[in-house]
Amino acid sequence: MSKSLALIGRALTYLALSLAAFVSIFPFFWMVLGTTNTSADIIRGKTTPGGALVDNIIKFLNSFDIARVLFNSFLIAGLGTVLTLLVASLAGYGFEVFRSRFREKIFGGMLLMLSIPFAALMIPLFMMMASFRIINTYQAVILPGIASIFVIFYFRQATKAFPSELRDAARIDGLKEWQIFFYVYMPVMRSTYAAATIIVFMANWNSYLWPLIVLQTNEMKTLTLVVATLTAGYTPDFGVIMVGAIAATLPTLIIFFLLQRRFVEGMLGAVK
Amino acid sequence: MVAEVETSGSMQDRRRGGAASNLARSEQINGWLFIMPALVLLGIFMVYPILWSLWMSFQVGRGMNFSFGGFANIIRLTQDPVFIRALSNTLLFLAVQVPIMLMLALLFASALNDSKLWGRGFFRTAIFLPCVTSLVAYSVIFKSIFALDGIANQALLALQLIENPINWLSDPFWARVVVISAITWRWTGYNMIFYLAAMQNIDRSIYEAAKIDGVPTWARFWFITVPMLKPVILFTAVTSTIGTLQLFDEVNLLTNGGPSDATLTLSLYIYNLSFRFMPSFGYAATVSYVIVILVGVLSLIQFLIARDRRR
Amino acid sequence: MTSFTSRWRRSLAAAALAGTSLFSVAAASAAELVVWCWDPNFNGATMQEAFSRYQAEHPDDTINVVIFDKAAMEQKLQAQLASGSTDGLPDIVLIEDYRAQKYLQSFPGAFEPLNSHIDYSTFAPYKVELATLNGQTYSLPFDSGVTGYFYRTDLLAEAGFGPEDLENITWDQLIEIGKTVKEETGQILLPIDPTGSDWIRIMLQSAGSWYFDADGNVTIAGNPVFKAALETYQRLIASGITTPVSGWTEYTGSFTSGKTLSTFSGVWMTATIKANPDQAGQWGVAPSPRLDGVEGAGNASNLGGSSWYVLSSAPQKEMAIDFLATIWGSDVDFYQKILVNQGALGSLLAAREGEAYQASDEFFSGQPVWQNFSDWLAEIPAVNYGIFTEEADAAVVAQVPAITSGGNIDDIIAAIDAQVRQQTQ
Repeated sequence: MSKSLALIGRALTYLALSLAAFVSIFPFFWMVLGTTNTSADIIRGKTTPGGALVDNIIKFLNSFDIARVLFNSFLIAGLGTVLTLLVASLAGYGFEVFRSRFREKIFGGMLLMLSIPFAALMIPLFMMMASFRIINTYQAVILPGIASIFVIFYFRQATKAFPSELRDAARIDGLKEWQIFFYVYMPVMRSTYAAATIIVFMANWNSYLWPLIVLQTNEMKTLTLVVATLTAGYTPDFGVIMVGAIAATLPTLIIFFLLQRRFVEGMLGAVK
Repeated sequence: MVAEVETSGSMQDRRRGGAASNLARSEQINGWLFIMPALVLLGIFMVYPILWSLWMSFQVGRGMNFSFGGFANIIRLTQDPVFIRALSNTLLFLAVQVPIMLMLALLFASALNDSKLWGRGFFRTAIFLPCVTSLVAYSVIFKSIFALDGIANQALLALQLIENPINWLSDPFWARVVVISAITWRWTGYNMIFYLAAMQNIDRSIYEAAKIDGVPTWARFWFITVPMLKPVILFTAVTSTIGTLQLFDEVNLLTNGGPSDATLTLSLYIYNLSFRFMPSFGYAATVSYVIVILVGVLSLIQFLIARDRRR
Repeated sequence: MTSFTSRWRRSLAAAALAGTSLFSVAAASAAELVVWCWDPNFNGATMQEAFSRYQAEHPDDTINVVIFDKAAMEQKLQAQLASGSTDGLPDIVLIEDYRAQKYLQSFPGAFEPLNSHIDYSTFAPYKVELATLNGQTYSLPFDSGVTGYFYRTDLLAEAGFGPEDLENITWDQLIEIGKTVKEETGQILLPIDPTGSDWIRIMLQSAGSWYFDADGNVTIAGNPVFKAALETYQRLIASGITTPVSGWTEYTGSFTSGKTLSTFSGVWMTATIKANPDQAGQWGVAPSPRLDGVEGAGNASNLGGSSWYVLSSAPQKEMAIDFLATIWGSDVDFYQKILVNQGALGSLLAAREGEAYQASDEFFSGQPVWQNFSDWLAEIPAVNYGIFTEEADAAVVAQVPAITSGGNIDDIIAAIDAQVRQQTQ
């Protein structure tokens, strides 16, 4: 009786997941289909594979210096992710583990800061970059995003699951606070770091508005800016746009696929 | 939401006793050291822009010809029907969309955390896929799906759920439905990641014990998973709330705020005021701070509810 | 686009390597002109063509045309002008005519007046008017948005209509044609985007009217042209000869796929239509229809169009002005070339005497389309777009569902008028 009920539950789970997977993949599949069609066919709503794939890829590769663009994107997203994870996890850990009333007030203020739309901060931030004389540089793109309140908040909440016994034990063993963070906390919180890596890399990789404002030349453009540029004009080539869109999606997707394996290793299991 | 964060600590425990005063001092120093890099960066890259935008919110004028206007912008807010529309649309999206999305994300995460589930990696990647899909492609695709002769109508007609094709993007009600579906589609997998990561921190032996005791699946979900994930659920609720209050991409790409301003959001209005209309950066800054005040008010409500419960 | 630049860069580098003595001479005079615009195949390509002509006289100079999506470019330009920092701004920027006055008045001193360098009497007067503020003119007038009615000759012929039936007609005559087409062939005449106000803009300007008068006062309530435009719009929708589309892709996809038979738009739409070579010989262009029963209503109107502006902070300001004046300001042959290659209809009046303008176009069933467009261009009534056109558009678009569902036009006008007044105070 209960076994057949479990079986039905199992079937329903698969059904729901398959439906969700279908709905999620469908637009992506459409995009892949689009890479094989000419722009005119895509605009007319053709939904069968075409023969324009090679042509579209060649046009995409010739539209910009793609090697340079990829270098820019990987440098900005890669460096940005590493620095953000370090600074934000330190802060999230610090806010959660060492508490004081004053710092709690700072933290509350930070959450309010998180809710200010970026559009309101963009112009003064640009003025600042201009006065630092770093317009059109990598650091101008990376620096403002490193102390991400969003990620600090995430690490703080995730740290609540970090067992205090582990910290106490490490202290008894004579480890300094920074050693506890690097040698105990970081390995134990692997799955949190994995999730944060995915999220932060994706945010940096897809970042559009700020790079648009602060980067000036074609040589500095990121892949996200290039894909947006492809849509410019009265007769954008949608076949090429679809190739660009796939190229812009793949790196984050690969990182996700590799890191999601981390989600099956139980944290405590790894410690025991 | 701030209240929740403050109360779950045990500050008094650590301060107990005079012998612990050295420890307390070291805690203080370390507390500052760990957050210092972040505070320095925020001090440089956030505080000045915030002060500038606060100052701007008291300026009136066109483009760079502005002058101090006192509370003129706040008075303008109260008399601006477009602002009122944008505000109510935004709150509607918030109230309807965030709960649906977080519930779905939690259910998917819980189903996909099952180590016996076949094809786990595939399902996770698939459900995560929408949030990495390029915005450009996404808008082209969504528009064609919801076109008058698009797949959504064809499917509904074939299933005989509707008699006439729905005018998705030109009908105020259905345009809102499309926008809510689009945000849910894009961000459910994103929130799922946080839950999946947090579920690794739950000791599996608790589940095993509950299973042996004959606790049904739904009860295990409700009485074990949800309470254990509370900090992360709070995190996603706060950030999704802020995200929805700042909703821009979906409405900009799919409906451009229309029809009849039915999907105009505060962020889209801020964009219009700054970059599409005659630039009024001062008024745009004022509207921006409405979002901050909304977050502040929501926090306060949450704080009061939490305090009531504790009595 | 970039390949152009890099090729020049490479040849420059090669010259530098060839000999140090040569390098020092080249370095003294070589300069790079930076231009921002928004269409690689249209305005970007014409800019490249213009500069390659300039280069014949100035072989050491180079150009860097940076393309952005139009909305993105406007956002970038405005954010930077607002910040007051000129670091990284280009020398020349393309601005859409509807927005020209907004930029000139919002950012005083940001753009360079060109009166002493350009003879504006050689350009279409309405284009010059758009870029003039306090007696100073700031633009090098570029492409015109003169409107036409683009239609599928083959599909309209099935319902028995030929080019002569579309000459100098009114909107109501067009509605009757659309109804007949629907009865005869079951096909829909026009796609319409309910989130845009293009049709209203075309109708208003065709009768010499706008949301604002010459002094910038709101002219919505009590404006007979505005009322006639909304009523015509309502009749068009009610007649069942239109189908709703959302956004540019679906809109252009509708008439290039044959789902709908025609559209009316600016002359720049020819490039989009000609991007479907399989439809060569199946298209025709007629003047856009005129409003019924409105004084001063004509068949010539305008949609879009843009002009080049030199920034006051431009590092290569003198070169930019010299380049615009010598090529864009007088090279008739250049205008023939961009007409043929990019379908760009410039505003230099002398250009229309050139060879390319006289030729007929096989794609458009052998019609002398360019000659026609030039003739219509000369008839476009000049109106003052003012600084609040976007605000007025937003107010109109907010009422489109009310118009579509058959609402009372007087009430709708009152609502639009109230919103525009509130938003532009």
